[in-house]
Amino acid sequence: MNTWLAGGLAAIGLVASAISSEEPALPAWHEGEHAAERVDGGLLTTDPPPGPQERLDLAPPTAKEIAASENPAPQVPEKFWAAYFAERPRTFLVDPQGVLSANDARDRLGFLNYHAGDSAIDLFVYVLKGDQEIPCELRAEELPERLFATGRPAAIITYYQGAPRRAALHLSPALTDSVSGAELRRALESSIMQAVAKDHSSAQLEAFLVQMSIRVYWMERLSGLGSAAAAPITSTDDKPAKPPDKKALLLAKLQPLMNKARLLALPAAALTGALVVACAIWAGLRRRARYRFPVLAVEPRLGGDHAAGAGAVISFASATTSLASQRQQRPDDARRA
Amino acid sequence: MDADARFGPPPARLRGLTDKAGILRHGDRERVEAAMQRIARRLPQLFAAIYTGTLGEAAHLRQFGFWLLNRAKFEDQPAGEANAAGILITLDPESKTAGMVFGYLLDPFLEESDTFDCLSRAHAYWLEGRYADGFVKALSHLETVLCKRSRQAHRHPRHFQQKVESHVRTDERDHRILRRHPEAAEITEGPR
Repeated sequence: MNTWLAGGLAAIGLVASAISSEEPALPAWHEGEHAAERVDGGLLTTDPPPGPQERLDLAPPTAKEIAASENPAPQVPEKFWAAYFAERPRTFLVDPQGVLSANDARDRLGFLNYHAGDSAIDLFVYVLKGDQEIPCELRAEELPERLFATGRPAAIITYYQGAPRRAALHLSPALTDSVSGAELRRALESSIMQAVAKDHSSAQLEAFLVQMSIRVYWMERLSGLGSAAAAPITSTDDKPAKPPDKKALLLAKLQPLMNKARLLALPAAALTGALVVACAIWAGLRRRARYRFPVLAVEPRLGGDHAAGAGAVISFASATTSLASQRQQRPDDARRA
Repeated sequence: MDADARFGPPPARLRGLTDKAGILRHGDRERVEAAMQRIARRLPQLFAAIYTGTLGEAAHLRQFGFWLLNRAKFEDQPAGEANAAGILITLDPESKTAGMVFGYLLDPFLEESDTFDCLSRAHAYWLEGRYADGFVKALSHLETVLCKRSRQAHRHPRHFQQKVESHVRTDERDHRILRRHPEAAEITEGPR
């Protein structure tokens, strides 16, 4: 019996040594320890202690599976590459794909034109679809150096319609030295914050551009390009930038309305002028008009050949005598007081 | 009482603006005359006249205006038009009364309340002794009222014709009453 027991223990020891040569053995509970932990309350589970871990025999993923698991974003179609990236854009809004509606494109372009008239830094916006990517071979990161090295300083925005968080901002080489990366990042972040607060994609772009225009104004000051360049620039570090003054903010927000008003100004002025002329002609004709009464046969009365004494008499002897009391005319009311 | 006996013989010829009371200065006269001419220009059938004077102790301004418009000859009245086309404003600065009478031509178209409104416009000025300003205001309002009445007369001629006919019927009724009750004639004042 003892021989059999000794033989079994030796076999178990061999198996255990074989396993331990491959992996370190997990800690095992002894009967006494497990009971002691339960008594002390230090063990929070009543599950039995884990046994040795079983190995899973899984096959590694194939190249086909890896390719199928990814869903690559669509790229800008090749036919639009030239329209986007061949040369410095002639308009501030670059949307050859027609991502924006005609009205939105007009409004945004109007705003960008206004901004260009009011700022030393132009704002160029490349509009892409929300899920589109710029192909690597176009090397979008070199775009500012390639297209905007000459001409007016510019801020170049790549805006993904409906996905404002993907927007990117670059500066033309003339500005990169004077505007810090921190300021650039703050401008982009604050513009994105404004955009994501809106629900509609059109309103998002509008809010984004309005905020960006304000931030570009501060960049203009930082770079010493604007009229306010003489003003002391106190911080270009990571401190929060000064908030733009209320007037500039209000002007920027009212800009779309002002653009619409400008479109209507000429017809309104023409209409007003026509009305004034018509009124003047009408008043002139009225002034030159001659009035006649039909001659009716009136029976002479009270022996008067020409008049019958019809008419009113008033007294102005005293300011205390009201006119209202004199309205009812009496035959003797005009007699000398 | 005979009006000629009360007010004297009728004046041979009166200017449109007769300031017997001497209350208008030279500049004032021009302004008042301009307002009168404006009425004559816009309403070619009509003329406006103004008389200021002291009428004496027993003066009765309504009777005086009635008498003057019937008896006087005005220099500025349109050719061919009788005094029936006239509107006369009389003012007595001593008794501080003013009246406005008009001829038969305007009888169907003007109401007594219209003339009262015209005089009311001048009341505040006359209280302060600004006679010319008062006349200008009264004439300006009169011009407005007459133009309005002229337009109404052409729009609704029937209305004014009926008004004349009703006046005739009223007069006939008065005559019948007077024939039956001659003593009632004493109630009626004014020259005959």
